[in-house]
Order: sequence, then C-alpha cells, then structure tokens
Amino acid sequence: MSILIEQDSDVALLHRGTRRFLLIGLLATVLIVAAIFLRQGLFRQTAALGFVTDSAQDISKGQSVKIAGFRVGSVETVTLRADGKVEVQLEIDANYMRFVTRDAVVELHKEGLVGSAVLEIMPGPDKTRLAANEAKLAFTRADGLTAMANSLRDKILPILGDIKLITGTLADSRQGLPATLGQVREATGSLNTLLKTGNQQIGDVGQAAKHAVGHVEERLLQLDKTLTTVNSRLPALLDKAQGIVEHVEKITADAETSVPPLLHDGKAVAADVREIVTGAKTAWPIRNLIETPAPQKLRADSDPHAEGSLAPR
Amino acid sequence: MRRAVLRRADLFFRLQLLVLLLLAGCGASPPKPPPEPRLRLQAQEVEASAARRYVQGDYSAAARHFAAAVRLHLSLDDVSAAARNRLQLAQAQLALGQAKKALEQTDLVREENLQVPTLLLQVQALLALNEVDAAQALLLRLDGLCGASCAERGRVRLLQARAAWSGGDAALTLTQADAALPLLRAQQEDHEVANAWRLIAAARLKLADASAAMQAAQSALDIDRQLALPEKITRDWLLIGDILRRAANPDAGAAYRRAQSVAQAAGLEALSQLAAEALKETP
Repeated sequence: MSILIEQDSDVALLHRGTRRFLLIGLLATVLIVAAIFLRQGLFRQTAALGFVTDSAQDISKGQSVKIAGFRVGSVETVTLRADGKVEVQLEIDANYMRFVTRDAVVELHKEGLVGSAVLEIMPGPDKTRLAANEAKLAFTRADGLTAMANSLRDKILPILGDIKLITGTLADSRQGLPATLGQVREATGSLNTLLKTGNQQIGDVGQAAKHAVGHVEERLLQLDKTLTTVNSRLPALLDKAQGIVEHVEKITADAETSVPPLLHDGKAVAADVREIVTGAKTAWPIRNLIETPAPQKLRADSDPHAEGSLAPR
Repeated sequence: MRRAVLRRADLFFRLQLLVLLLLAGCGASPPKPPPEPRLRLQAQEVEASAARRYVQGDYSAAARHFAAAVRLHLSLDDVSAAARNRLQLAQAQLALGQAKKALEQTDLVREENLQVPTLLLQVQALLALNEVDAAQALLLRLDGLCGASCAERGRVRLLQARAAWSGGDAALTLTQADAALPLLRAQQEDHEVANAWRLIAAARLKLADASAAMQAAQSALDIDRQLALPEKITRDWLLIGDILRRAANPDAGAAYRRAQSVAQAAGLEALSQLAAEALKETP
C-alpha cells in the first residue's frame, strides 16, 4: 500500500515538473520570438521609397539599401510592370529619411570590385527639401567590371595599332632603321673632315689671343694700383658695418629662438586642444552627455552705440 | 526518482534561461543613427563660441569666430548655415562700428527665409553710414515683407523712427517710436525698448515737451542700468543734461558730471570729452 502511495506522489511530482517545464519553455519561446522581431526591426517605423528601372539585373528582394555606407533598409519588392519596366520598392528606417532629399539618386554598385551588389541612396545637392514617404527616386547603375573592361579595350586597341605601324616602319630597309644607320655613317665621315679644318682655325685664333692678353696685363696693373688705395680705406668702414651686422644678428637670433616657437606652440596647442575637445565630445559616453550646440539667435540691438538718438547730421 | 525528476527539470530550466539571455543580448541592440560628422560638429562649436563671445561683449573675437564659422560651413556646402553666420558676423561688425563691412556681408546673403533679418541689418548699416534715402527704400520693402503678425515688426517700426529722426522729422519719429514700444515690449527686446525710449526722449525734446522727454530718458536710463551698458548710460545722462539745460534747470551740470564720471570709469574717452564740453557750455 505504502509503495503505491509513494508511486502516486512521484507521478504527481513528475506532472508538476513537466507542466512547469512546458510553461517556462512556452514563455522562453515567446520571449525569443519577441527578441527576434525586435532585432529584425518589426516594431521599427519604416518608410517606403521606390524607383523604376529598365532591368532588374543585380536587384533582388532583401538586398541591402545603404546611405553613406550604413545599412538603412532593404529591397521590399521587385515587380515587372505591364509596360515592361521594373518597379522596385525599398523599405528604409524612418529615422534615416532625414538624409534622403527629393533629388536623391539610388545607385546600384558592387561592394569592392567583385563584391555583392548594393543599392546606395546618394542625397542630392538641395539638402533643404527632403523626400516624402513613398517618394519615387531616380535610379542609376554604376559601371561594372564588364563596362570597365570594354572601356579599357577601347583605349588599348588604337595604341596597339600605332605600335604595329611604328615597328613596321622601323623594319623598312629604305626608310627604316637600316637606312638611318647608313646616313649616320656618312655624317660621321663629314664630321671628321670638319674637325680637321676646325683645328687649323683654332691655331690662328691662338696667335690673336696672345696679343690681346698682353693688353689685358697692362690694364690689370692699373687696377692693382686702384685696389691698393681702396684697401687702405675699407677696413674702417668694414669694422663699423661689422658692428651693426653683429647687433642685428644678435637681435634676430634672439627673436628667432623666442618668437617662432611661441607662435608655433600657441597655434599647435590651440589646434591640439580643439582636436582633443572635439574628439572627447564625439566619444562615448561623453557624446551622450553633451548636446550638439544649436544655432543661437543673437540678442537684437539696432543701436549698439546709442547714436541713433543724436541730433540729425 | 523524485529527486532525479526535479534535477532534470532544474537543468532544463537553467539551459533555457541561458539560451534566452543569449538571444535577448543579440536582439536588444537596435542600429543607432550615424553620429554627427566631426567637421560639422566643429563648425557648430565655432558658431556657438562666437555667440558666447558676442553675449560677453567681445565683439572683435565674436566677429573672428563668426567669419571662421562662415568658412567652415561653406567648406561643407551648407549655404544656409553660412548665410546665418554671415548675418551674425554683420551684427558683430555693426557693434564694432564697421558698418561698411557689415553691409558687404549682408549683400552676400541670398537666402529667402533670411530676407527680413538681412534687410534689418542693411537698414541699420545704412543709417550708421548716414545713407538715409537708401535706408528708407529698404524700409519700404521691409514694411511689405514684415506684416502685422511679423515677429520683427517692432524693430521695423523702431528703424523707421530712426530713419525719420535722421531725416529731421521729430513728429514722425515720435509716432513710429511710440508704435514700436508695445511691440518691442511684447517681444521682450529690452535693448530695443531702451533705444525706443531714447528716441522718444530726443524727439520730445525737439518738440519742446521737456517733461515728457525727461520721463522717456529716465525710462531708457533705468533699462540701460539694468542691462549694465556704460556707453548707453552715458548717452542717457547726456540726454538728461540736454533736457535739463533746455528747461534752464540748474541740475543740468550735475547730469553732465554724472555722464562724465560714468564715461571716465568705463574708459570711453570720446564720450567723456563730450560731457566735459557740455559742462563748459552749461551756465
């Protein structure tokens, strides 16, 4: 009897444990689902944008939509319209709509050279007019690898043609490199003859130069006398000039050592301080404590020097 | 058996709790908006620093900072912020007595939403340059742009009063300044209220209403004292001296001496000289 009672109480205990386990499991599942929905942004406010393109190539549902490299949403639908065009609907986080201007362009490009295709919203120049919910934006495709290869081929082909032409001309026996070498050989012979004639003429010039040097020697003697006179008067003048220069040098040296470092240091310190303060303000957690300075309206004073009430001029 | 069942249930419970915590950790961080770019933050800081200096009365430093803010905002292609800073630069230049430079700055502002403040500063600069006709022409435009519900209506009327005063029309000055007073009071523009009182006092003095002129000048002085503006306090005392002298009141000398002592203490050489001359002319 006592064995049966003990078994009944064990079964009841097992039932209670199982019920508790199932209840906790259910609760955990609900919480996990809620967490996943929260993470997936189901409770986030979103905005819809769209564009129309000729082809859906490289565009697919769920594809990333970015602004300045940040993922802000995804492609919601890609549909083929009755007129053969493709309509694409984007769903982006409503918080980021402040970056989407009316003249923004959606650009399809590859991440890196061979990466996956992403849609990037490029804001237009008019930052004052923002796009509304469900606005239609312009669309463009960035050049892919094929386009780049075609462009490269178009540029290289004419260059290859030119090289072919040049090498053909060089190999020509009448107009090319062999004919040119023959002409060079002839020119060298003519040059030898010219050098012989030149040597004779230089000998003649040497005779004339000897006479000229004799005249120059006489003039140099006269210059020597003048320099002796100048030499006797110059030292005193030079001493005075030296004194002045030394004073100026001393002042300049002092200024050179004291003024520029002060100027440079001051400028550098100011720049450093600004950099540090700006850096600190943008760093976590300080940036959460400091509000970005809002533009302030200066107090109005149409007559700051109280001259408006003076007698009319 | 009972213990084994309990142990198993407890183990499952702990495992589920762990999984739950891990998943909650993954799901709880929503993406944050991108932070404000560093250069834009720097431009905003420079602008705020300039505004602080303007409030402190260091107009020279304020003008330098506003000019830097204009450059920074232009480098970010933020034309609207650059225009806003240009107007503030012009305001600092007007406070420095550089009306021509201020006019040049305001001429560069083309933003439609800043039309009224731009015109207000242009009128102010033109009046400082004694170009009354040009100021009147702009005031006509302002009158059309800034209707009855316009927040700047009081300042427009005050500038109309100043233009009338510069044109030598005391009666019109009085009408316009009287109309400006309640509007300026409603906007709590204390500086401008004092300016309006001073104009009213000068106009009433010209219209030979000395007692009303004295009341107005006293009102201007009270506000300028509260705002702690030595230059304006000196001007108020000089005006009070003029009113008393016109009324042949022997206290005129005392008012001029008061003006002189304030000017000397504040280092206002020109005003101190003016007070000394007025004292000499007072019997």
